[in-house]
Amino acid sequence: MSLIGQLALALALVLAAYSIIANVVGARASIPSLTSSARHALWAMCAMVTVAVGALLTSLLHSDFSLEYVASYTSYSLPTIYKITALWGGQQGSLLFWTWLLTIFTSIVAFQNRRRNLEIAPYALAVLAGLAIFFLGMLNFVTRPFDLLAVIPNDGQDLNPLLQNYWMAIHPPSLYTGYVSASVPFAFGAAALMAGRLDDSWIRSTRRWAIFSWFFLTLGNMFGARWAYEVLGWGGYWAWDPVENAAFMPWLVMTAYLHSVMIQERKDMLKVWNLVLIGMAFGLTLFGTFITRSGVISSVHSFTQSGLGPYFLTFLITVTVLYTGLLLSRVKQLRTPAEFESYLSREAAFLFNNLVLVGIAFAVFWGTLFPVLSEAVRGVKITVGPPFFDKVNAPLALALIFLMGVGPLIAWRRSSFDSLAKTFAAPALFGITTGGCAFIAGLREWYVLTALSLAAFVIGTIVVEFRRGVSARRHMVAESVPAAMVNLIAKNNRRYGGYVIHLGVVLAFTGIVASAFFKTEVKKSVKQGDTFQVGAYDLEYLGLETSETPHVETVRARVEVRLNGKPIAMMEPAKLFYKRLQQPATAVAIRSTPAADLYVVLAGIDDQSGLATFQVFLTPLVFWLWAGGLIMALGTVIVMWPNVRERAVIAAAVRAPAPFEDDVQAVPGGD
Amino acid sequence: MKRLLKLRTSTAALIIVACACALAIPIVIAAAPTVSVQEVSEGLTCQCGCGLTVANCNHPNCEFSVPVRDQIAGMLGRGMSGAQVIAYFRGKYGEKILSAPTTQGFNLLAWVMPFAAIAAGGALVAFTVGRWRSSSSAPSSPGSPVSGANASVENFDPELRRRLERELSDRI
Repeated sequence: MSLIGQLALALALVLAAYSIIANVVGARASIPSLTSSARHALWAMCAMVTVAVGALLTSLLHSDFSLEYVASYTSYSLPTIYKITALWGGQQGSLLFWTWLLTIFTSIVAFQNRRRNLEIAPYALAVLAGLAIFFLGMLNFVTRPFDLLAVIPNDGQDLNPLLQNYWMAIHPPSLYTGYVSASVPFAFGAAALMAGRLDDSWIRSTRRWAIFSWFFLTLGNMFGARWAYEVLGWGGYWAWDPVENAAFMPWLVMTAYLHSVMIQERKDMLKVWNLVLIGMAFGLTLFGTFITRSGVISSVHSFTQSGLGPYFLTFLITVTVLYTGLLLSRVKQLRTPAEFESYLSREAAFLFNNLVLVGIAFAVFWGTLFPVLSEAVRGVKITVGPPFFDKVNAPLALALIFLMGVGPLIAWRRSSFDSLAKTFAAPALFGITTGGCAFIAGLREWYVLTALSLAAFVIGTIVVEFRRGVSARRHMVAESVPAAMVNLIAKNNRRYGGYVIHLGVVLAFTGIVASAFFKTEVKKSVKQGDTFQVGAYDLEYLGLETSETPHVETVRARVEVRLNGKPIAMMEPAKLFYKRLQQPATAVAIRSTPAADLYVVLAGIDDQSGLATFQVFLTPLVFWLWAGGLIMALGTVIVMWPNVRERAVIAAAVRAPAPFEDDVQAVPGGD
Repeated sequence: MKRLLKLRTSTAALIIVACACALAIPIVIAAAPTVSVQEVSEGLTCQCGCGLTVANCNHPNCEFSVPVRDQIAGMLGRGMSGAQVIAYFRGKYGEKILSAPTTQGFNLLAWVMPFAAIAAGGALVAFTVGRWRSSSSAPSSPGSPVSGANASVENFDPELRRRLERELSDRI
């Protein structure tokens, strides 16, 4: 398997190099057979990397400890599912997995553009192949997944217990998919600059890729937060850890990009800015990889620290310099006469939305790197943790939520104060009433009151928009309200899917604010049969149960939860002991309801006194963070779903392929 | 005159953005009183190597965060304020134990820079938009979508009207 894997990776590298040359020469000299050959080379490259992935997976599943990677990250007793997830559990495997995704996406792009975008697609494919060369170079020469051990051990070292969790089975693949698919719009942006094709065809051609990337970045961040919530056992889900920040920043910039491109599609403005944004989004994905693997900044998520930092940093700088140079060389041609009439317009709202999103991304970037800067300047490595990020980002988040309510309802070009008053009266009243009610109910934290009011305002704007659309449909076509709602979304999925995403963001934001401000914690050491109170709940410790598998020993506490004297749940927090690694871990018990999560940790057991120590968190509304994430995902699926008109456009494109026909036309005025 | 008005609007927007940012700085750097063990321990970084705060350390039975949390509970129980507790630990372990930069000297840069950058970005947006507005064409012609607000649908060109109806039925 080692030989097959090594050979496949070496061939993939050669094919990637050939594809760059053939794509560029073929495009410059207009030799279709050469660009066609380059495409085939890319498909072959993908096949070779697939073979390498297959070889490593086979070795992992067969516990072939002659491979250093398999011996380092698995053991005989490791459950099969984690033998598979060990593929991305270590340094070399995760790089191979990343490369595999990149080559798959490159192959899809090559297939999609085999008969269209003929002017820029070869350059875009050359860029993607260039990225693949870096990763394949690392896998062939620097961090090799198929290295053999001189002495084969009897058993492997096992996978880090923190990674032996089902969220870890889906969190890294989601995040990597988000990271890697951002390469596609970036490659097309760079290709547009190289080819001098500076209209918005590159944006339209990659709109779905950008949304696809955003979708998986959203899921990746959500799954990571959920993993932290369930595995780390501190009752929270986000610690502003450098690796979390590194995943959050591309999401922010990609969000800004998805809003900003609407202005270019609609008004042919912001061409330079959109190219800057996609460059930043892609650069930040590389930065995230650098942070995770370099060990420059310590992180709870860095399971794969190594000496790869300098390589990634050099690559990041090289890509940044080349892209910036390319962009600067085209700045004059990218300038177009801008039409902008009023600050009271959707364009202005989107510009300020971009300002805030990129501002938050900068604040996170700055806070993440400040310890390194401090050490360089003062010689003191300080920590920049949650208090900094919470305080800096809190007011910016409010501004963003406000703009989220204003942006979709304000008119393009310009609005009058009268029309604004008419449009926003009901949502504003709803927001103010919500805040007022919360105040009367005894809420005094100004931030929470403002956040609640703004969240209600945004929900109000979404309801107003749906109501307006449904009544317009019912006016024109006699149908029931549910049918009108479904047809409204189906006919204009991009616009109404966007509103669903906004609803998800607002719900998630509400969950974050409530859980940050009102989380309560109780720590109690109790004997069997004792009861203690957490909020309105009574918790009775009933005793311990032990169990054992060849892999792990488990000590489970049984805790009965009662509300008003009635038993409502049996919770079983546990302590785990991983035999092979001789490492303890915690398994929390969570009872989740829309009102609050009861989160129980078995913090300690004293065999002598018989005392068990429980750490219990009562976190209000955190349920809505996860529900909001799901709704955001649902909204994104709606946005990406091809509708009838789009299918017609695609069919027309297939019938009459033209060099720059879009794969999916933007819906004019759709957003 | 219109040019002057546009300039004034740009300037006003600029000033508003700047003032908002200036006002935000003292608000965000003002230290909130800390009262609970959770809040105080979020102000301290765990020294076990996890890279998290004392409140969030994920190591079961951590040799640093577990006793420090108990120590904080004891100190708060004796009537010490959150700031006093944090000052005690800072005196004992140095600046590295703080989970956020101080607001003095070089560290102030950490707090100011994000808002300065956003203020600069806001100024750039206001300046650019001001230029765009100046260079935009004169008031819309009577047939343009904006000034056409007063026009009734009946006055539309029949072909335009048919197109509008087609688009409407297609879109909603």
